Amino acid sequence: MVRDKCRHLWNKTNLRDGFIVTENCYHCNKTRVYFSYEDAPPKDEYKEGEHYFNYAGSAQSMKFDLECEKCKTIVTFEERMGLMQCAGCDESCHLNILSKICEGQNIWVYAALAYKAGEEIDLSVDKLDVLTSHFTSRLRTPGKKILVVPGSLRKSPHTCRGEMLRDVGMLSLTPET
Amino acid sequence: MTVKELQSKLKLNALNEVGDTEVDGAFVSDMLSDVMAGAKAGNVWVTVQTHKNIVAAANLVDVPAIIVVRGKKVPEDTVQMADRVGVALFNTDLDTFQVAVKLFEAGVKPTA
Repeated sequence: MVRDKCRHLWNKTNLRDGFIVTENCYHCNKTRVYFSYEDAPPKDEYKEGEHYFNYAGSAQSMKFDLECEKCKTIVTFEERMGLMQCAGCDESCHLNILSKICEGQNIWVYAALAYKAGEEIDLSVDKLDVLTSHFTSRLRTPGKKILVVPGSLRKSPHTCRGEMLRDVGMLSLTPET
Repeated sequence: MTVKELQSKLKLNALNEVGDTEVDGAFVSDMLSDVMAGAKAGNVWVTVQTHKNIVAAANLVDVPAIIVVRGKKVPEDTVQMADRVGVALFNTDLDTFQVAVKLFEAGVKPTA
């Protein structure tokens, strides 16, 4: 998709604000995460198949796509929900191991968390490369790099104590439904 | 102007080691998403937020210094994280507007 002759220089485009909404099924505790573009996060209960989903929390965030300023290629990131840095909670977690190895080389690892139809998925390798290229190209500190990796490097999304970069607790600024 | 010079001019309280990184512009916001979208490498970031994720966001966009305003107490894990990634962390009793004015008077301009 993006491995062509252009030495891409990616800039954010199509910035859009919204809410990362988390819901839980109160029968089986299944979690689903999605991005809402509404003015306030939806808090309605609803049934979907065997699940009864309840609002469990939300945070303000934004989505963006990346456009190459040279060749105008646009890579969309509708499924990308946010980035997180390892909190170092589990020595045997691959994200933790990789983060520690890279840190010594001034490479800072961020996991891209992505969701499709409420379920966590990994971004494609191409998209991870584009994000890595975008964030690294904006740096000024000599030798510093950003490496964006898939969220599945975490040992478990349920026990991981890393937190997504999002704006929790800013809801007083938005109208309640 | 370096981060160290900025600390001296604004009489900021340093919470960790302060380097000689050059400051180029300022960005004022209390939202991580704003910073990730709008802050430029070299900007000093002015905020009321103290959660350790401010450091993760600053590191992502190469912000060399964060000024926490209104005398907010910064948690130890935030300071440790700032040490780890080399971001200078300050707090001050001044409010956001006062810090913005002082930054401007010191020659630091808003980010384009």
